[in-house]
Amino acid sequence: MSKRLTYQDRMDAINKLKGIHTLEKQKRDGTDGYWDMDDKGLITPPADFIFEPETNTPEGRFMGNYLCGKNYRKLLDTHPIYIDPMSSLAGGWMHSFFDIKRPLWDPQFDYSHLHERQKRYDIVSGIGGMQHFNIDFDMGLELGFGGLLKKIDKYQEIHDESKSDFYNAERDVFLGIQNWIQRHADAAYEMAAKEDRPEIKESLLKMAIANENIVSKPPETFLEAVQWIAWFLMAAVMYNYSGAGGAIDDYLYPYYLKDKKLGRIDDEEAIFHIACLLVKDNQYYQICGTDLDGNDRTNDISFFMIEAAHRIKIPTSICLRTHKNINPEIMKLSVKYLFEDQLGTPAYLGDESMNEGFMKNGYSLEMARMRTKTGCHWCALPGTEYTLNDIVKVNFLAVFDVALKEYYENLPQNPSAEGLYENYSKHLEIAIATIAEGIDFHIEHMHKVFPELVLNLLCHGPIEKGIDISHGSVEHYNMCVDGAGIATVADSLGAIDAMVGDGKEFSWNEMMKLLETDYEGAERERLMLHSVAKYGSGGSKSDEYAVRLSETFSSLVKAKPTPNGRNLMPGLFSWANTIPMGKVVGASPDGRKAGRPINHGANPHPGFSKADTPTGLANAVASVQCGYGNTAPLQLEFDPHFGIDEGGVGLVSSFISTFMDMGGTLLNINIINKEKILAAHKDPAKYPNLIVRVTGFSAYFASLSTDFRQLVVDRIVEGL
Amino acid sequence: MNGVVFDIQKFSIYDGPGIRTTVFLKGCSLSCSWCHNPESISKKRQVQTHFIKCIGCGRCFDVCPQNAHTIVDGKRVYDRSVCIGCGTCTDECYSGALIITGNKTTVDEVFEEIMRDKAFYKNSNGGVTISGGEPLLQSKFTASVLRKCKEDEIHTAVDTAGNVAYTSFEEVIPYTDLFLYDLKIMDPIAHKKHTGADNKRILSNLKKLDKEGIPILIRVPVIPSVNDNIENFYMTADFLLKLDNIQAVEPLAYHSLGAGKLESMGKDAKGTTFDVPTKEYMAEVYDIFSQKGLPVIRKANTKKA
Repeated sequence: MSKRLTYQDRMDAINKLKGIHTLEKQKRDGTDGYWDMDDKGLITPPADFIFEPETNTPEGRFMGNYLCGKNYRKLLDTHPIYIDPMSSLAGGWMHSFFDIKRPLWDPQFDYSHLHERQKRYDIVSGIGGMQHFNIDFDMGLELGFGGLLKKIDKYQEIHDESKSDFYNAERDVFLGIQNWIQRHADAAYEMAAKEDRPEIKESLLKMAIANENIVSKPPETFLEAVQWIAWFLMAAVMYNYSGAGGAIDDYLYPYYLKDKKLGRIDDEEAIFHIACLLVKDNQYYQICGTDLDGNDRTNDISFFMIEAAHRIKIPTSICLRTHKNINPEIMKLSVKYLFEDQLGTPAYLGDESMNEGFMKNGYSLEMARMRTKTGCHWCALPGTEYTLNDIVKVNFLAVFDVALKEYYENLPQNPSAEGLYENYSKHLEIAIATIAEGIDFHIEHMHKVFPELVLNLLCHGPIEKGIDISHGSVEHYNMCVDGAGIATVADSLGAIDAMVGDGKEFSWNEMMKLLETDYEGAERERLMLHSVAKYGSGGSKSDEYAVRLSETFSSLVKAKPTPNGRNLMPGLFSWANTIPMGKVVGASPDGRKAGRPINHGANPHPGFSKADTPTGLANAVASVQCGYGNTAPLQLEFDPHFGIDEGGVGLVSSFISTFMDMGGTLLNINIINKEKILAAHKDPAKYPNLIVRVTGFSAYFASLSTDFRQLVVDRIVEGL
Repeated sequence: MNGVVFDIQKFSIYDGPGIRTTVFLKGCSLSCSWCHNPESISKKRQVQTHFIKCIGCGRCFDVCPQNAHTIVDGKRVYDRSVCIGCGTCTDECYSGALIITGNKTTVDEVFEEIMRDKAFYKNSNGGVTISGGEPLLQSKFTASVLRKCKEDEIHTAVDTAGNVAYTSFEEVIPYTDLFLYDLKIMDPIAHKKHTGADNKRILSNLKKLDKEGIPILIRVPVIPSVNDNIENFYMTADFLLKLDNIQAVEPLAYHSLGAGKLESMGKDAKGTTFDVPTKEYMAEVYDIFSQKGLPVIRKANTKKA
């Protein structure tokens, strides 16, 4: 008789299968990167699976409530069954619903009046952007799918016919999800009947029962709660790439306590179910933080999340919300695994700085504590806040470029970096106003293009009012405005201040000539400008400019809401747009050549000082926080040795807490061996299991495009 | 007051407890064969070269008052023997091919750098370490920096090889919370052979220092073919057992990461690089000290040996 499989055996098998799926995806979508984004657990569908949606646009696409609902139901109804018998959870998603058929926008909603300004300042407008807000799983787990369906029926009755498309679409999505679950329950029974291995047979039976139970009823057990969340998340990610996992330790803790009390579960099993959840889709999860009274929220599930990620060893996006009274044991364990596993997880969020910042928007401390990390670099209130987080950005360097050229054309008698700064501020103000107009435009029309049919279900307002969340049905609209390229602009201003003007190395004419010619044949001159002390070196003029750039940006963003009165919130984040945002701007006065990337997030450029150190980086990034509850993250690369050495874990923990004490908001850490990353860059296929934190997310290095791999390598290995 | 500093290292985690800033002073009274900070030995200003970065702009040829930079047979040559370390060429070099080391630095300038990371010292129980070279060759400067640190309640450490007059110790003692004291080789003849001086004064200074009541962390480099005879470590341990204020012993495995630095100072790395001790051997060394009842600090990697 063969050996009984342990949970670890099963996790190893799941990990191995995921590796096979990843290779399949790489093969299917090209060798040079299939997804420059989170590895979201997509499983390649069987070759004969075809999904043909109904269309209603001349280009053969679909939009609006009716077809979005109808088509999504069709996808759910025809979606292949997927059960890995090693897993305790059923399901797997195989098709991106919106990628192929969703139009980016409906041209009848014309915003060509914004195009010129959006292009001039290289604005990522958010128009047509989806999800990027948080949902309330407490409500879902309490009501269950049956309760949610009743809610749809109840509110449809209250409203008139004009809302029927919306409610019918929501019902379509809903019935599709229920049917999807029921089909898996049936399949699990069948598989269990055929299964010989007793432990797997038992697991499949448990899976079948759990799935059958949650088709309509609210989850009762820990397994049912985890499976419920998995289904909702898979439905959400398949619909429009949502990543809103949220405060998972809060959501699951009552179910764990109940099962534990009844002797229905032990910790090993709980960890196993969580690991299985992480495989279904590596959503953004937050653990720890403070409760409404300010007490540490760390519980057993917080530990299990860290433990599960450690055991399953796949890319995950867990964020530990740390604070002054955090349980030191979870800090230790998380740092230990961060170094041991080198998976780039967890990230660390600063509870106090985030709360203080959010309160400046007029919210209470209790509300601030409820705001949960649910994306690359952002938080949102569960189910009551619409944000467009991480998909609205302005390229500071493009703004600077416009300002510099205009300033030069009308060069005053005594030109200076200071004068240029004023001109930059003027253009930044126009850019922000352009963004604000765009956000209003999006909120006005998005619901007619691609409504949030899945996430609406777990929000407070859309179902009650019969209005899509993107169109005004929740209580809070705090719209994200991120600035990107702070270091590139600060260094450029610093270089001009030090090197350009009367009695300095270059005249303004000479500098502009260098930029126009992209430093062609002028490497020494380029290096002269590049040698000026940079943002991050500490106490330099460029450091001063970086702080001012952040302050100017924040005050302009906060000066007024959008024309329709939506609150704006400033942050500093590029996401992986460092590459495209650099590509559209010519050479800059900091010695950056045309088309080269802008800096990452709020980080100084690599090579910012003689020896780039973590403390130098932390000091710099802490100094440029916008301070309104959206982050300016620090991306940090540590050598693997730090954590292994005696006392290393303690040192890194103290580093994290100091950064947060200084006002830091978010810290993403890569533990990377320089030699290994260089070798993997040359031949990624040889390193199929190498996982890196690209920006706010982690991914398989081999799955990234050359450009994205270069982005990671540059940050680790060299400067400009 | 000025000091000759060749580096200030932030997030220093190998020179004492916690997260520290280590200030490296230039000039040393030993010349250890394995030393990979060759710029630390002379107190003079010196040029470090990294010709791989040279962009061939030719400015160094034009500006050098000593004609130290020339072309011979079509190859660029830098003649260190005529260089006076004036820094004219390095001022003109933006590529990083020529760098001056050993600029005079004021106490305030050093302190300003130290203060930038102050927040990190407190949470990590870290602080400031003055190292070298031999920091006690600049004991007044060292004392001035440390005094300022103590005024700001920053933990202080001095990393010394001990080969100085004891009066230099006396100047820094009032402002020093911890000494990192190198004990390289116990046999005086071997010590002289490998470091250029015997160890009599080093050992007697250590005995005297021990009476001051300040904790001392003993650092023992482990260098194959130089001091890796087990007997040496037993002798070191026995010596230490007679002392009262030894906080711990930290054996430091030799590494060869500094070979590039030797080249930058025009020195041939051959003959001054050694084998890296194995993990197993290091474990044996750790055991010798622990079995003698001395607390041992074990670190997988060190910047210094």
